[in-house]
Amino acid sequence: MSKDMNYSKAVQRLEEIVQTLERGGIPLDETLKLYEEGAELLEFCQQELASAEGKLNEMRLSDVEEKLTK
Amino acid sequence: MRAGSEVTTGPIPVGQFVTLVRNTIRHDQLFQNQVITGEITQWKQYPSGHTYFTLRDSDGQISAVIWKGRCNIDPLIEEGSVVVVIANLDLYAKAGKIQLVVNRIEPVNKLGLLEEQKKLLIESLRKEGLLDRTRQELPAIPKHIAIITGTGSAALSDMNRLIDNRWPGLRRTIIGVTVQGENASNEIVRGILAAGKLSDLNTAARLNQTPVDLIIVGRGGGAPEDLWAFNLEPVVRAIVASKVPVISAVGHESDMLVSDLVADLRASTPSNAVELCVPEFDYHQMLIHHLFERLDESTNRLLQDCRHNLQFIQSRLLNAPLKGIYNASQRVSDLSNRLTVAVTSKFATAREKLQSLNNTIELVMQKTIADETTRLAVLESSLNSVHPRNVLDRGYSMITKQDGTIVSNSQDLTKGQQVILALSDGEAKATIDEIEQKGE
Repeated sequence: MSKDMNYSKAVQRLEEIVQTLERGGIPLDETLKLYEEGAELLEFCQQELASAEGKLNEMRLSDVEEKLTK
Repeated sequence: MRAGSEVTTGPIPVGQFVTLVRNTIRHDQLFQNQVITGEITQWKQYPSGHTYFTLRDSDGQISAVIWKGRCNIDPLIEEGSVVVVIANLDLYAKAGKIQLVVNRIEPVNKLGLLEEQKKLLIESLRKEGLLDRTRQELPAIPKHIAIITGTGSAALSDMNRLIDNRWPGLRRTIIGVTVQGENASNEIVRGILAAGKLSDLNTAARLNQTPVDLIIVGRGGGAPEDLWAFNLEPVVRAIVASKVPVISAVGHESDMLVSDLVADLRASTPSNAVELCVPEFDYHQMLIHHLFERLDESTNRLLQDCRHNLQFIQSRLLNAPLKGIYNASQRVSDLSNRLTVAVTSKFATAREKLQSLNNTIELVMQKTIADETTRLAVLESSLNSVHPRNVLDRGYSMITKQDGTIVSNSQDLTKGQQVILALSDGEAKATIDEIEQKGE
């Protein structure tokens, strides 16, 4: 997967893949290739969803600045 | 310099000298009836009726006095007001103090001045092309939002609540700053700089954090002067210079600040900023789930078609003339094997992986539903605990008038009035015999 892949691009590409597969009439090799690509993109998207969750830090400006200069 | 007619041979006593200076000042037209503008500090109105203050601006200051009854003082004038005075320069000989004796004082519309400065700033930003420069794109899913706003403000709790509704536990760093008054612009600028540092990959790695990928800077509504920091050049320049997309979220829908004009996105309110940049977790979870199902179903259907085709060819070969049947049958058999191999090696592995992914999604969805159910149950029980029925069960009763309004004060009652007593298991009608009011 390319380095600059992001969630929006991944969902857009997934939509294309699914539509191609739904239309059908493609050779077996192509089908399996698309499925694999789709699976990889789905995994990426799921990771993206999971990686947004994290801590809530609430700090005064001076504390942030102190933390940055440490 | 010597005192005109008073010819002396020795040194002049200081009092005489100061008086001389005073007279010189008083007679010089340059120092009389001057129109001067500045900001008031140390504004003190004494019981004697005199008012003392200092008139200042960034380049200088001078003491001033308004003698009792000398002129009308607008009640709006206070510490910090910008005023225009018409005054004479004078020297108070006893203290050797130079001061303005004010004959007239008028407040200057401070907001008018500020508006003028705002216009000039917008004009220069426009000339620099900063108003129509290409804006940075917001991340589809922000991984770490820096929120720069007032510590403990209502705007902040609104934003936090809304974020957790849309994407529970979304990673964020709140940088608490002063959002109004003299220090506001300085602190906001430093807040934006700090958020910028948190977006730096190396810094983030050192702090073991996910880099900040979005900044919201703003505050809730207030008087135009209260929001003014967001119209000041340092804040505006810091937003323009930010390498991370910035959302300006200041005041209400109708407030338009210079920060709104230069930010990568303008939100009408702090809550609106959250709506614009925090997607809804449930929606995206569902989206991924549906894409998985469609991918799986369509691929399965295509594989099924392949199998049917092969079966069809095989059955036709069985009925074909013997000539060449061996080779053809061999080819079909090869194809069939390849299909099986391909499906087992690629499809099956990928599918297995996806299936477990999908199970995770379902688990998360079930958990979300379970969490919501628990939350509702908690809400329900807290609602129940304040239900009047529970109070009645403890032996209290509620009095209502015949029109159903609840009586909570003795003033609401009149002698002989019919009332209804609500008890835990029923009602009773009663008549008011006597009313006694407790002393206030």
